[in-house]
Amino acid sequence: MHRVSKLSFPSRPALLLLAPLAIALLAACTPDNNQSTFGTAGPIARDQADLFIFIFWIAAVVFVLVEGAVIYIAIRYRRRSDSDKLPYQTHGNNKLEITWTIIPILILAAVAVPTLTGIWEQQNGVPQDQGEVLNVEAIGHQWWFEFRYPGQEVVTANELRIPVGRPVALKLTSQDVIHSFWVPKIAGKVDMVPLNDNFMWILGDEVGTFYGQCAEFCGLAHAMMRFRVVVQSEEDFQAWIDGMHTAADPPVAGSREAAGQTLFAQNCASCHTVDSTAPGSYAREINSQEARWNGWISDIENAAIVSAPNLTNFGTRSTLGAGLRDLNQQSLEEWIIDPSSIKIGTRMQKHAAMYNTPDGTANLSSSEISDIATYLLSLKPGSGAAGVVIEQSEGDVDGAALFATNCSACHSTGADKIVGPGMAGIGDIAGSRVAGLDADQYLEQSLRDPGAFIVDGYPPVMPGWSQLSDESIDTLVTYLKTLK
Amino acid sequence: MTQAATTGYQDPIENTSTGLSSRKLMMWAFLASDVMFFGTFIATYLVYRGKSLVGPYPSEILDIPVTSVSTFVLLMSSLAMVLALHYLKNGEKNKATLWILAVVVLGTVFMGFQVVEFRLFAQEGLTPRTNLFGTTFFILTGIHGAHVTIGVIWMAFLAYGSHKGTLRSDNSMDLEIAGLYWHFVDIVWIVIFTVIYLISAADGPPPGAETILH
Amino acid sequence: MTTKSLTFPRLFPRPKADTGIWSWIGTVDHKRIGTLYGITAFIWFIVGGIEALLLRVQLARPENDFLDPEAFNQLFTMHGTTMVFLVVMPLSAAFFNWLIPLQIGARDVAFPRLNAFSFWVFLLGSLLLNVSWITGDAPNGGWFGYAPNSSTTFNPGIGMTYWVVGLNILGVASIAAGLNFIVTILNMRAPGMTMFKLPIFTWMTLITSVLIVLAMPVLAVAGIQLLSDRVYGTYFFDSLGGGDPVLWQNIFWLFGHPEVYILILPAMGIVSEVLPTFARKPLFGYPFVVFAGAAIAFMGWFVWAHHMFTVGLGPAANSAFAISTMLIAVPTGVKIFNWLGTLWRGNIRLNTPMLFSISFIAMFTIGGLSGVMHASPPTDAQQQDTYFVVAHFHYVLVGGALLGIFSGIYFWWPKFTGWFLNEKLGLTNWALMLIGFNFTFGPMHWLGMDGMPRRIYTYAEDMGWETSNLFSTIGSMLLGLGILVFIINVFYSKMNKKMASADPWDGRTLEWSVPSPPPPHDFDEIPQVKYRDDFWFKKHPETIAQYYHDEHDDQDQAVPSGAQFDGDDEAVAVPAVAENKSNGHGHGGIHLPDMSYYPFVLSVGITIFGAGFLTNTYVIAAGVPFFLWGLLGWSMEPVNDPE
Repeated sequence: MHRVSKLSFPSRPALLLLAPLAIALLAACTPDNNQSTFGTAGPIARDQADLFIFIFWIAAVVFVLVEGAVIYIAIRYRRRSDSDKLPYQTHGNNKLEITWTIIPILILAAVAVPTLTGIWEQQNGVPQDQGEVLNVEAIGHQWWFEFRYPGQEVVTANELRIPVGRPVALKLTSQDVIHSFWVPKIAGKVDMVPLNDNFMWILGDEVGTFYGQCAEFCGLAHAMMRFRVVVQSEEDFQAWIDGMHTAADPPVAGSREAAGQTLFAQNCASCHTVDSTAPGSYAREINSQEARWNGWISDIENAAIVSAPNLTNFGTRSTLGAGLRDLNQQSLEEWIIDPSSIKIGTRMQKHAAMYNTPDGTANLSSSEISDIATYLLSLKPGSGAAGVVIEQSEGDVDGAALFATNCSACHSTGADKIVGPGMAGIGDIAGSRVAGLDADQYLEQSLRDPGAFIVDGYPPVMPGWSQLSDESIDTLVTYLKTLK
Repeated sequence: MTQAATTGYQDPIENTSTGLSSRKLMMWAFLASDVMFFGTFIATYLVYRGKSLVGPYPSEILDIPVTSVSTFVLLMSSLAMVLALHYLKNGEKNKATLWILAVVVLGTVFMGFQVVEFRLFAQEGLTPRTNLFGTTFFILTGIHGAHVTIGVIWMAFLAYGSHKGTLRSDNSMDLEIAGLYWHFVDIVWIVIFTVIYLISAADGPPPGAETILH
Repeated sequence: MTTKSLTFPRLFPRPKADTGIWSWIGTVDHKRIGTLYGITAFIWFIVGGIEALLLRVQLARPENDFLDPEAFNQLFTMHGTTMVFLVVMPLSAAFFNWLIPLQIGARDVAFPRLNAFSFWVFLLGSLLLNVSWITGDAPNGGWFGYAPNSSTTFNPGIGMTYWVVGLNILGVASIAAGLNFIVTILNMRAPGMTMFKLPIFTWMTLITSVLIVLAMPVLAVAGIQLLSDRVYGTYFFDSLGGGDPVLWQNIFWLFGHPEVYILILPAMGIVSEVLPTFARKPLFGYPFVVFAGAAIAFMGWFVWAHHMFTVGLGPAANSAFAISTMLIAVPTGVKIFNWLGTLWRGNIRLNTPMLFSISFIAMFTIGGLSGVMHASPPTDAQQQDTYFVVAHFHYVLVGGALLGIFSGIYFWWPKFTGWFLNEKLGLTNWALMLIGFNFTFGPMHWLGMDGMPRRIYTYAEDMGWETSNLFSTIGSMLLGLGILVFIINVFYSKMNKKMASADPWDGRTLEWSVPSPPPPHDFDEIPQVKYRDDFWFKKHPETIAQYYHDEHDDQDQAVPSGAQFDGDDEAVAVPAVAENKSNGHGHGGIHLPDMSYYPFVLSVGITIFGAGFLTNTYVIAAGVPFFLWGLLGWSMEPVNDPE
């Protein structure tokens, strides 16, 4: 009663279907790709890849059997002529039903066993028998990664350095939206969720630099939130840690670096810390970052400060903008002129005053930008011994210089408001602000514990400056009182 | 039983394959859906118990005796509902109308309690924007209040219908279905009352939270 | 009815037209509503497809600047939202509407006006969602809307408010339709059609409807909470106020995983009708296929956290959800094996609908197998949020749901319209879609394993991803071409009509017993059902013994006899259908429900009300009169006006 389709079984489309599958198998042999999950460099990624391959082969067998059956049956039992003959109208077969219920259960049990052991090995805390554990806190920001080493009191960004062969315990958090920490060659991802501290452990067993990338959609520049994990020998790692406690040599007066330093202090230092080398600076940086976050979140539209990467020893990094470009003078200048041309939506450009121009690019001359870049690239561990507090030597402490490096990013010496109030006339007001405190006491208190008295209308974002020596604070107070 | 199904659209609603009125079955299915709806809100409330960053906390603001009274009022409305249906089916029109009106009145009184409670809480500094307790409390009880309000309006129409004689013993299914809804909303309140007013009445600030009133 | 009832003053006369715009706005005919669903959903399918093609063009090469990231984010958000809520669900609804009454021997659904209401709410809700393109601020937080990226703090534009309002309105439509089909299937079956004689598509519709009715309210709550956060500043998902972003994920996926089965089960139902028809054999293991469907739907509620293996729920939760997720592969496998059993020793006719259905089995199997790979949290840690997952769910939703739906379109088209779709164009359509589909999504498997995350608008040149991405983009063009061929086919076939008989495929279920296209009243006479696949066995009585002889082995399946009818035999002696000649509309004197404009009015009210959350309270207030007009008018309007 119907015309039979003239089509014999379409073999050409079937062959074409196989092409991408064949390419898939070939492509699996690209472990050298930067984020290949097969080119593993650590036991966790390796276990995950091994389990994948185990499941893959089981799936491959099922795939061949089922797809083979589909194709075989479709060809074998296709209607060959106009015959409308009725096949036997069977209703089914209970034995078969039981068989093909039980066999998948057995197969899945075979998958479940290594799955469960894998879960408990990877997610149930750091193994204590594989060497001294390094603790790191990784914090996701829109759109960069902050890494803190609480045991070593080191803060860095976008390049996580870990010693080879030692387990690293990561505490993962986020302040803004959900991000995900993923270094495919070292370990599968774990999300960084605000209010939910997550823990994972990783171990790199191969020296090298490995690519990482945020894997949870986190807004505009999600694609641009990348980072690197640098697995180093124990010695190199220790040297790096020591370096992170060694201040860069102060620039020679009159040099481009010196000019860059001043420009940096004026334009960048309210958000970017560059001197987290001294004892106590770790706690201060954590406070500062918290303060920057509070400053931003309390007034997102007009905030003048925002959480930002710590740039201590920036010159030792290999990449720029969360793994987006190789770091060099040229790329850094491009970044400073117009960060969004490299990483769209970066908050730096929206909030830093220097970008408050019609086209949004930096309102600095190209030589000034070059100076800043030169200065930043010069930030490398200096010749001083590790842990030495680098501050201007006692005696020639200059209040104006202290103010310029420490305060000027947020406070003007006039009446203008930057982040905090202008300092003009502070000497006159300070004495009457809090009953029982004279001007000196009030200013000193405000420097050591700024949260104690916040001027109405300003966010409580100022970090404490108790890392300064007593003399420096005295000098600063004296200087502040001279401002009219 | 299957008679109507073969006669086109004569009355396929009441004479059905299962023997259940289609409208009644519909209401049951809707209530199942509503269970998931309320269930999710209640689960949210439970997840956020004790997670408020600032006060007022439940222990500082909930007035259990007053809400027990309003709960009792709502329970009594269910009783009135049962009586209304009974008299309607018996053809006692005036008694039926009276008891449906009683449902309306009791439901309205319950809503009055809720309005007063919301206003008192607002005066004491608890709004949906105060803390997580405020957020979850107002939205959960508010959604329940919306259900009660819809029920009250529905019952008012039915009372009018009973009075006018359009709702009679032969179409008492109208009232029965409304009754299913009403009893459901009542039961949901029992759960909400238990979860909010009884279980978490003593909830204070979470450990470490500052007790700053906004 | 002769007794008096409350009446509501009419602003317009009750619509009666058989043609023209009012015949559509006022229609309560399940077939017309099905057509409306189908056309609307297909238009959105083209929109969603264009969105996808734009995404693919952007990703064709590294560091591409065809789209800016904001546009990219909006496009992938709307692509996902559109395909799930505006395409696959309503296309399934189109089949539900067209087929359920026909398959169970009823003349309409239980609540025809509610049915119309579902459609209008769906249409207006989908329009509202897409109006966001015109206002220039389309949703950009992903179809999953993860908190707190969807909060006003991090997403201050109005796009995500459109999203949440749109989804809530669509939820109303889905729940109303779901309730309607549950009641229709349970209550309006033809005499003798016991539950285990239901056509399998009807079974899957019932299961899907139950899932819709239970899962959509969960989404509604998430939507209300997010809307309240965005519009009124509450703290449900605002981490700054202590709101937990993980709660959003739990609620969303508690809805989201059943939703996956809402999308796939109707297609499984379609395939389970097409395979037996063209293999000319009954569905193998009917009760097992039914139970497998029910088991999938039930277990679907206990697997949601497999979307959250990397969220940090801890090893115990991850282990539990890994096992429950793996178990759900078992009933899925049962279905696949039963389909193969259906084909086995059949007399298989490889025409377009059949090839789509067979491809469904082949492609869905791939999607299922890759699903098992990320059912295991350790491997999922590498696959979650990568293109591997994108590949997986497109194999399930395109290779599965969409191929199944296309199979259904080709299969039932002659029933819907009275003419066939062209077979040669159909085969071209099938081949292009299947090849294009595999070229598009096949390479994504290894892109994922090669470390390419989802939802990135571009990638660096040194990642080694460009070849696969280019491949994928070319494949997507082929896939698009396949869809284009389908559209051409529709118009070509319409102009060169090859008419279809009532039963062109030697079909098995009741819809093939009525003319193509069916008359407005569907059945001149309500059929008496005796067997599963009743229509088939009445055409081929010599095969009854084969089926029911075997069946005798099953303890639960006795050979049906006349006395097996639902009720007593007496009830079967039905009054003549042509009893009521007074209805001026003909239809053999069969009394159909009258048309009504109130469902449309009510849906307008709901949409304006929803739009108010996007604008201001005056607009909310403006929706109320329509709402009350529609609701009151409807509630006091009898199904049929007294003559």
